[in-house]
Amino acid sequence: MSSHSHYHRLKNKWIDRHRNVKNIIWEKHQDALNWAINSFPAKQLVAGSLGGMLLLSAPSITMLPKSPLLLTKEQHAQDLDTDTKLMLDLKGKIPSDVRPLSLDEEESIAEILTKDFGFRVTSSVHGKKLNRSYGLIGYEQHLVLFPGDTIYSHFENDGEFQKFSSAGMAPGLSAWRYFAFSKHALTQKDILREKYYIAVQTFLAPGFDEHVAEFRNFFKYRKMLVINPENGKAIVCDIADAGPSPWTGKHLGGSPEVMSYLHRVDGAGVGPVLYFFIDDPEDVVSLGPATIR
Amino acid sequence: MKPIRQAQGKHFYSHIIELESLFVHIEDLEISDGEKNHLRLLADSTIHHTIIDAILSELNTEDKKNFLHILSCEDHNDIWRFLNTKVDSIEEKIKKVAQDLKKELHEDIKTAKK
Repeated sequence: MSSHSHYHRLKNKWIDRHRNVKNIIWEKHQDALNWAINSFPAKQLVAGSLGGMLLLSAPSITMLPKSPLLLTKEQHAQDLDTDTKLMLDLKGKIPSDVRPLSLDEEESIAEILTKDFGFRVTSSVHGKKLNRSYGLIGYEQHLVLFPGDTIYSHFENDGEFQKFSSAGMAPGLSAWRYFAFSKHALTQKDILREKYYIAVQTFLAPGFDEHVAEFRNFFKYRKMLVINPENGKAIVCDIADAGPSPWTGKHLGGSPEVMSYLHRVDGAGVGPVLYFFIDDPEDVVSLGPATIR
Repeated sequence: MKPIRQAQGKHFYSHIIELESLFVHIEDLEISDGEKNHLRLLADSTIHHTIIDAILSELNTEDKKNFLHILSCEDHNDIWRFLNTKVDSIEEKIKKVAQDLKKELHEDIKTAKK
């Protein structure tokens, strides 16, 4: 038998063991574990060994202050395997401090991500790149989809309203104004572009000042893969706004839905993400949560 | 004073549960470093869950919450102080469940090699 078969045989057995013990602990001590999830700040949980257990095994994540996406136990079990694999693949490739990556680091990480996700991930497209590809992500508000869009017309269903309306609407329009000219003209693609948007510092991109119009067109709805390296959560986003201002100390912003999925928060708990372009000229990569192959 | 936490590893029980013998066998497998890491993490997490389950199973409803609260603070001295007052021979019980599971994991590695 090949060594690869050894690995898969053992891995599958241990994944089963892991699932079983997770199910057991949740069945036996559900009340206490749910109490812990709802009682302790997310940052406190993430840092400790209790968090390691709860974050990797909870049937639903409810401790994040900003409207978490609810996941089933089965989804979590599956996520553990894929998210863990991604974390391990990236281990040792990401600096301990949040700083711009070197070209070598970017290339190395892009190569891993391309291999893991099955689509081309890169720090630059057609020679254009952002000011950085690893930085602190802040919390953005919902963007106005069409003229007259408010927090009450913004969501597709009550569930989303309940989860995400507390973030509120951004006071102005996005860098590219409306996603659609009217509610009637709004497409599913427009909705997803707003739901999974990020704001990046387009204005700090090398060459932006010399080619403003060209760069604005380039960045508009450009797809990016955003990854929380601390939990392996990855999501395909699009650039739909410019920001944040450099003085904030943050390097990009995520929609409430993006932040919830990544388990990232703003304020004192602000944390880093990787953000790399997806080279998708045929527009075949879907926006939203992404898992490795 | 947090000498135990700082000196003896990431889990509060790391000073009484050695995983090196298990990791050595994983290291011997002819697989990539990433695959070894994946197996190590699965083993570590499975043992962690098993130990926490064993502890929670010894506690009443209120003490389960107290324990999880103390665990979330990551002060290993406090964790042991609490456990020693609530559960008889807790250290031996933790060692026993970990040892039993490690034995099974060793067997899994042996079987996988065949």
